[in-house]
Amino acid sequence: MIGNITLGQYIPGESVLHRLDPRSKIIWTALLMVAVFIINTWQEYVMMGAFVAILLVISGIPIKQSLKGIKPLMLILAITAILNIFFVQGTPLVKIGPVVISYEGLLSAIMLFFRLVMLVIVASLMTLTTTPMAMTDGIERMMKPLERVGVPAHEIAMMMSIALRFIPTLMEETGRIMKAQASRGADFDTGNILKRIKSFIPVLVPLFVSAFKRADELAEAMEARCYCGSKGRTRLKQIRFTRLDLVASLAGILFLLILFGTRFLMISH
Amino acid sequence: MHMVEFKDVYFEYGTHAAGQPSTPAVNGITESIREGEFVVVLGRNGSGKSTMARLMNALLLPTGGTVWVDGMNTAEGDKIWEIRRTLGMVFQNPDNQLVATTVEEDLAFGPENLGLDPSEIRRRIDAAARYVGMEEHMKHSPHMLSGGQKQRVAIAGILAMEPKCIVLDESTSMLDPRGRKEVIDLIRTLNREKGITIILITHHMEEAVHADRVLVMDRGRIAMQGTPREIFSRVDELKKLGLSVPQVTQLMHELKAKGLVQAGTALTLEEAEESLKAVLKKSGFHHPALQEPAVAKEPAEVIVSIRDLSHTYMPGTTFERKALQEVSLDIMKGEILGIIGHTGSGKSTLVQHLNGLLKPTSGSVTVDGLECGGKSLKELRQKVGLIFQYPEHQLFEETVYKDIIFGLSRLGLPQDEIERRVKCVLDIIGLSEELLWKSPFELSGGQKRRVAIAGVLVMEPEILVLDEPTAGLDPRGSEEVFAILTELNRTQGTTILIISHSMEQIAAYCDRIAVLNRGRLEMLDTPRKVFSQEDRLRSLGLDIPEITRLFRNLHRAGYPVNGHVLTISEAVRSISETMLAKETHKGGNNA
Repeated sequence: MIGNITLGQYIPGESVLHRLDPRSKIIWTALLMVAVFIINTWQEYVMMGAFVAILLVISGIPIKQSLKGIKPLMLILAITAILNIFFVQGTPLVKIGPVVISYEGLLSAIMLFFRLVMLVIVASLMTLTTTPMAMTDGIERMMKPLERVGVPAHEIAMMMSIALRFIPTLMEETGRIMKAQASRGADFDTGNILKRIKSFIPVLVPLFVSAFKRADELAEAMEARCYCGSKGRTRLKQIRFTRLDLVASLAGILFLLILFGTRFLMISH
Repeated sequence: MHMVEFKDVYFEYGTHAAGQPSTPAVNGITESIREGEFVVVLGRNGSGKSTMARLMNALLLPTGGTVWVDGMNTAEGDKIWEIRRTLGMVFQNPDNQLVATTVEEDLAFGPENLGLDPSEIRRRIDAAARYVGMEEHMKHSPHMLSGGQKQRVAIAGILAMEPKCIVLDESTSMLDPRGRKEVIDLIRTLNREKGITIILITHHMEEAVHADRVLVMDRGRIAMQGTPREIFSRVDELKKLGLSVPQVTQLMHELKAKGLVQAGTALTLEEAEESLKAVLKKSGFHHPALQEPAVAKEPAEVIVSIRDLSHTYMPGTTFERKALQEVSLDIMKGEILGIIGHTGSGKSTLVQHLNGLLKPTSGSVTVDGLECGGKSLKELRQKVGLIFQYPEHQLFEETVYKDIIFGLSRLGLPQDEIERRVKCVLDIIGLSEELLWKSPFELSGGQKRRVAIAGVLVMEPEILVLDEPTAGLDPRGSEEVFAILTELNRTQGTTILIISHSMEQIAAYCDRIAVLNRGRLEMLDTPRKVFSQEDRLRSLGLDIPEITRLFRNLHRAGYPVNGHVLTISEAVRSISETMLAKETHKGGNNA
């Protein structure tokens, strides 16, 4: 039912991308996403596409897996592409009655499509190669300097990783409660919106009760395992900015220079 | 040296537990547990067992008296972390104690909190994972594991902290028999090989047999304590406290009460077998098998007809799983049908077709003329009441009354009919009327379970389906649930389907048994016939009742007893008939 969220599901592997410091992955994901938004010529599209493709190959993740994240976005992609086709003015290409499809419209639709696809691939490349724990660790370490101004970096990271741990459990539970209430005569599928929202009360109350109970028990279990916040705590996996990260970052910078360098060259012409 | 020492300990919960009686949860306990000891704590739900466990590692502090752990007073704040690393705790719900998203990182959680070196953490978690046999699953996500595996991970997480003592608070109660065995075998090895002190809190009497010592709790006190043999010889006292004893122990106790045997208390099947062999004279004489009553009930009428039912989850994806394959089965009106099979065999999938929660991938299910998966969903759900595992988790209304009539109020019945039905159901489940106006969340576990069952019974279903109706209940609570079910079946002719892992319950209460394995119907017959095929059941990962196995063994060894008994009363009858026959030197008269 709600089980199709693949964005963020870590796939174990030993590739270069897997071994990078999560912090460099987070930063580079952000940079590449910005780059995807800036590119606008076909040459830039080709270069960017090639670079993303190379990353995909390096990651060793089956293309099918990385494209899975696009599926739920297909509808949005299609709608935006169609809107672009019809509403961007320009040199007419085809005329069907009052509807005009322009050359520019078609081009911008195609570009938008590839832009979104690349965005999704870049984002899922990070989540597919980074364990949720490493990711939250990375975020914790990046936020560390903010602790001085009172940001509870460790607590935020811990909350995130616990949330990730319990999402599948709570989803299963939701399914179970819905079935149980349906067996008792609950009806989730008929009536107007208001009635349908109300019909979820018998699901939400038990779900919350159980979530609070779980939270209580988990807190107890964590305490029993000597958890007392970040003080004096070490980590099994130290995250370290290694030579590999340095090389990867240099490669990334080189790519961005080539990508946008051509732009400056063209301007200067 | 004492590992844990309670000196005149009291503990009272704050005022928020309004529904609880005002007696302290722990009411004056003085007790010591030696280093290396294996202690089992028994007691009804709410007898103070869990509170006692939490006092042991300073999750709770006594309101009176002192608790010492390995020479440290739990009330001294600076000792708290040392106490918790010395005495680790495994909880009841396997899901709610795993913190991390992979097994490996979960195991590391404790050592990380201790501030150990990464290389030392690595060494410890690898050793712990190997010890519990989970080294293959290091990178797996906890929610992909079975219940038994999760508990083994939880134990390994504690082991990685290198504790001297492990407390398990009903850690086996949510597991299936296989998972339970995994966990019990593991903690016995830990106790034997590593000398770790084990304190196991449980409802399963068989688990107490292997302990060095048993403590029985009742209303916050230790009511009995002694070796398993001492404790289980006091059958009547245990019964009074709402507990039970293993089947073979019960049998020997009853035979002794009848003056048929003189032997001491039997704890295991082997012991019972030895003492029975000593009593029964070996002879070539074979007792005729108990005959099935020729006509079990009135000429049977088919109420549910399942034809070639198959169900596939998530077809066409990588997660595709064939949960049921071509199951055909007729359920008779008024029968009690047991459904057995180990976890993942398709039991739950099968019953969810009966009220249209699932639709057949192929094949058909017809309930009393209604096609399941058709349009008559509402009617179908009135006819078939489905009660899931832990149904009390679905209570949500402000009052018990509102919760009970949740489904009923949707049927458009007149108010007086609703009142009549609620009153009638209260009678059946044995709850008093004043409870109706309480919040369901104030009730005890057993009461909640019964209220949840009541919510289905008010619909007056013709067919009642229950998935593990006694999971997590103590022995008396379980008996009460089964009393309700047999009463319903007898007085109202309700057809009842029970999914259970307890072969003893199935043998005692069911008219027929359906055995599922990997989504296929393997057997469908009377309990006597099904349980006579021990080898076949074993190959399906299932067991037979202990008492049945005992008599089978005796019968095979040539002793003149019935080889097909299913219950303790049948067993007693068989033995007394044989003894009688021996005394009078006549042939045995048939049952």
